[in-house]
Amino acid sequence: MKLNKLIVAAFAGSLLFVSCSSDDDAKVDTPSGAYDNGVIVLNEGGFGAGNASASYISDAMVLENNIFSAVNSGDLLGDTAQDLGFVGDLAYIVLNGSNKIEIVNRYTFVKVATISTGLVNPRFVEFENGKAYVTCWGDGTVTTDDYVAVIDLATRAISTKISVAEGPERIIEENGKLYVAHKGGYGYGNKITVINTANDTVTTTITVGDVPNSLEVENGNLYVMSAGLPYYADTETAGRLDVISLATNTVTRTVNFTESTDHPGNLTIEDDKIYYTLDNAIYTMALNATTLPAASLFTTTPQGSYGVYSFAVEDNHIYVGDAGDYSANGQVHIYSTQGALQKSFTVGVIPTGFYFND
Amino acid sequence: MILKKLILPLLLLLCQLTLAQTDTITLKEVIISDAQLRDYSTGQSVQKLNDSVIGRNAASLTSLLNYNTNIYFKENGLGMVSSPSFRGTSASQTAVIWNGININSQLLGQTDFNVLNTRDFNSISVRAGGGSVAYGSSAIGGSIHLSNDLYFGDRFNNSLRTDYGSYNTIGVNYNLDAGNNKVSTNISVSRNSSDNDYAYPGTSLRNQNGEYYNTSVNAAIGYKLNDKNILRFYSYVFDGERHFSGTLAVVSRSKYQDLNTRNLLEWSGYYGKFTSRVKAAFLKENYKYFENKANNLYTHGSVKTYIGRYDLTYDVTDAIKLNTIIDYTHNDGDGSDIISKKRDIASGSLLMKHNLGRIQYELGIRKEVTDNYESPLLFSFGTNMNVARFYDIKLNASRNFRVPTYNDLYWAGSGNPNLNPETSYQAEVGNVIKINSFTLTVTGYYIKLRDMLRWVPNTSGIWMPENVGKVNTYGLESILNYKTKIGAGELQLTGTYAYTVSREDGKTYQLIYVPMHKATASVAYAVKNASVYYRHLFTGEAFTASDNSASLDPYNVSSIGAEYSLKFIKGLDVGVQVNNLWNEEYLAYAVRPMPGRNYNMYLNFKF
Repeated sequence: MKLNKLIVAAFAGSLLFVSCSSDDDAKVDTPSGAYDNGVIVLNEGGFGAGNASASYISDAMVLENNIFSAVNSGDLLGDTAQDLGFVGDLAYIVLNGSNKIEIVNRYTFVKVATISTGLVNPRFVEFENGKAYVTCWGDGTVTTDDYVAVIDLATRAISTKISVAEGPERIIEENGKLYVAHKGGYGYGNKITVINTANDTVTTTITVGDVPNSLEVENGNLYVMSAGLPYYADTETAGRLDVISLATNTVTRTVNFTESTDHPGNLTIEDDKIYYTLDNAIYTMALNATTLPAASLFTTTPQGSYGVYSFAVEDNHIYVGDAGDYSANGQVHIYSTQGALQKSFTVGVIPTGFYFND
Repeated sequence: MILKKLILPLLLLLCQLTLAQTDTITLKEVIISDAQLRDYSTGQSVQKLNDSVIGRNAASLTSLLNYNTNIYFKENGLGMVSSPSFRGTSASQTAVIWNGININSQLLGQTDFNVLNTRDFNSISVRAGGGSVAYGSSAIGGSIHLSNDLYFGDRFNNSLRTDYGSYNTIGVNYNLDAGNNKVSTNISVSRNSSDNDYAYPGTSLRNQNGEYYNTSVNAAIGYKLNDKNILRFYSYVFDGERHFSGTLAVVSRSKYQDLNTRNLLEWSGYYGKFTSRVKAAFLKENYKYFENKANNLYTHGSVKTYIGRYDLTYDVTDAIKLNTIIDYTHNDGDGSDIISKKRDIASGSLLMKHNLGRIQYELGIRKEVTDNYESPLLFSFGTNMNVARFYDIKLNASRNFRVPTYNDLYWAGSGNPNLNPETSYQAEVGNVIKINSFTLTVTGYYIKLRDMLRWVPNTSGIWMPENVGKVNTYGLESILNYKTKIGAGELQLTGTYAYTVSREDGKTYQLIYVPMHKATASVAYAVKNASVYYRHLFTGEAFTASDNSASLDPYNVSSIGAEYSLKFIKGLDVGVQVNNLWNEEYLAYAVRPMPGRNYNMYLNFKF
């Protein structure tokens, strides 16, 4: 009797399911096509999952997800979005997994062009002198093939490759010079490479802490945050902040973290204040501070975030990206500069960076 | 004198007759390698896929099981890495048993179902539910049994099959089955290759960098020392290279090589009430991963496994059987990404079966001893009850486990040496209705998994495995078989349907890559020398994100085929197949489209 019911239920269930296997693709909201005056959140997506995406949060704090696919007839953005850079009316989106750069109009997100040759493991992009500079690891397992690709903005083709040390990551421009932080790729780096954009050659390298993960320029100084060696290295070491005089390319000040388990990141300078994160705590200190703050500004614990995946400070707001379990959609939390939560948004998978589009 | 002269030949003749008779008896008595599958599956459903089913399906284990069983597969594109979800469990919670030996990778804990050629085995059985007491780690969702059965008797049979299909897919399989009353030999050699460059249906893209080839040899040799003692040797070598295909978003440059060898020597003794089996096995798995196929740099991993096992059966009475298994396993692994490590695991199992006529039941316990982790006491209970002439009820309850793998424990930088095994408590109720040639099995089950290993990021963003997962899975499985005569021929119907709910404790989200619904159906009609068949696979929506925010659409894929045995060349069969008949656009894994309609034809020559 029971069995009969079970069988009937099973078959009925399967028939029902077959008959209503509807198309769920119509979830995407109507694109506004206007992504000015707000922040673009780049969502990395899972490596190999092909689900990189871009979200837009307007100044009025209205969210729109998946904007690239929405305005480009459902096209995939690509695999593992790493960085986005604005130049003129365009945005260059670096897709690490896809080994390409997607160029879109920064205000409409309509696709303009794709650069898909000459980029092997591209990471971050910066612009100067009518050129784009893209840090590239080459093959991850090869330590000697890393380079900075130089793209002519007019032709959108790679004009030259500047060979650099292993694992070039973040890149920043100041006064015609590029500063490339060598986080180290699969290994551990501790160098900043300086490139002259007039002739696209390496002028010098500067030694900083191990695994430099973020850098900023302010008042003729380069601030470099290094995480230190992780626990699985031979010896775990604490992170440190190096301040470099750009006039002499020498480290003028170093602020060391105390515990070997302290691995800071996300260095940002806004309104003459340094911000950084350590685990899920956000800290701030003066530009000229020689010691670390004793207490954090706030933590993301109330939001249930165990860490800070991406971070930005802009116009009296602090932006935190939370990657969650890296499979589900991530969260973006916006706080006041005092750390009061203002609003949270569910964005795409692994929010990796904030780009302010004004 | 004359009488004596007469008697002698008569006696000889008589001997011949009795010998011939014993021959015919032993002919039927297949010497199986996996005795626990036959004797200790009480209360569980075992679905056996025989030669003819294996022959009609593609040579990959993925394809065979996907189209004919309740197991769901996520396949990274055709022929690429393929992992099962059996009863909603993870890939490392399904054990693959080769001639009684668990061959799941020690590095990954799972088996890639595209690196085993189905044509190398006589029979493939799917045993649903827990089996750790008999088979050790990973037998939680169920186990897949790849067997080479031997028998003694005079014969010398060869078969040579060649397949050719779309995308320049070529398959060759040679099989030798020979023996007499002393020796039995079963040898299979397979070679498969494909350009695998199919167009992604509905796009302008192709499956780039998807080519593969593999060669495998599987040999089973039995030697009868005397009436009481048999020596057997099994050996399986698989050597393959796959370029890992790209996705809709990535053009891939990588390739991957597998070289796996498995050897098993077994001495069986049949001494009245005792049956003793001494087994020694040596397994070696080895992979190389090339990030960029253009250069010769690769990462690699390798594990050697030595197994010594003593398996003793004692028939206490005609109705009561006892079985003890003592096992010692030594693993020796190293690789570019793991810390070199040796590990030793000893285990003892005790099984008991009692046959009360219409009711049979069995009990089992197992305990492992190792330095590497805390191993739980495992148990199993199963019963078959013949309620009516056409109706059986099966009950089974067990505790099972999955041990941490080399990668979990020793991955350089993020392995966690303090892991414990995943454990499960599970129970099932099966109903079997059998009326003539109609069989319907409907099984409801529940699995409570604890300490499930998950790679999770810690506060510093470092991914490490932890015993944090708690998953509850329940569902319903049904298998239907029906045969009937229609006209001069025979019609055969088979179908499966699985309903699966698998969730983290306290959550309402379905686990990723576990569809709630999966169904298969096949119809075959054979008359004289010809047969035609149609098979269908329905896979329901499968989520790809843990918050169920993204999913793969449901899909229906069908194949149709025909086979004809030629009259003018005896022993030659010709077959044609159309796969994905309705040209369905579907994904079995995110951003990795499967091929549209494609074709295969084959010749099978028996001599």
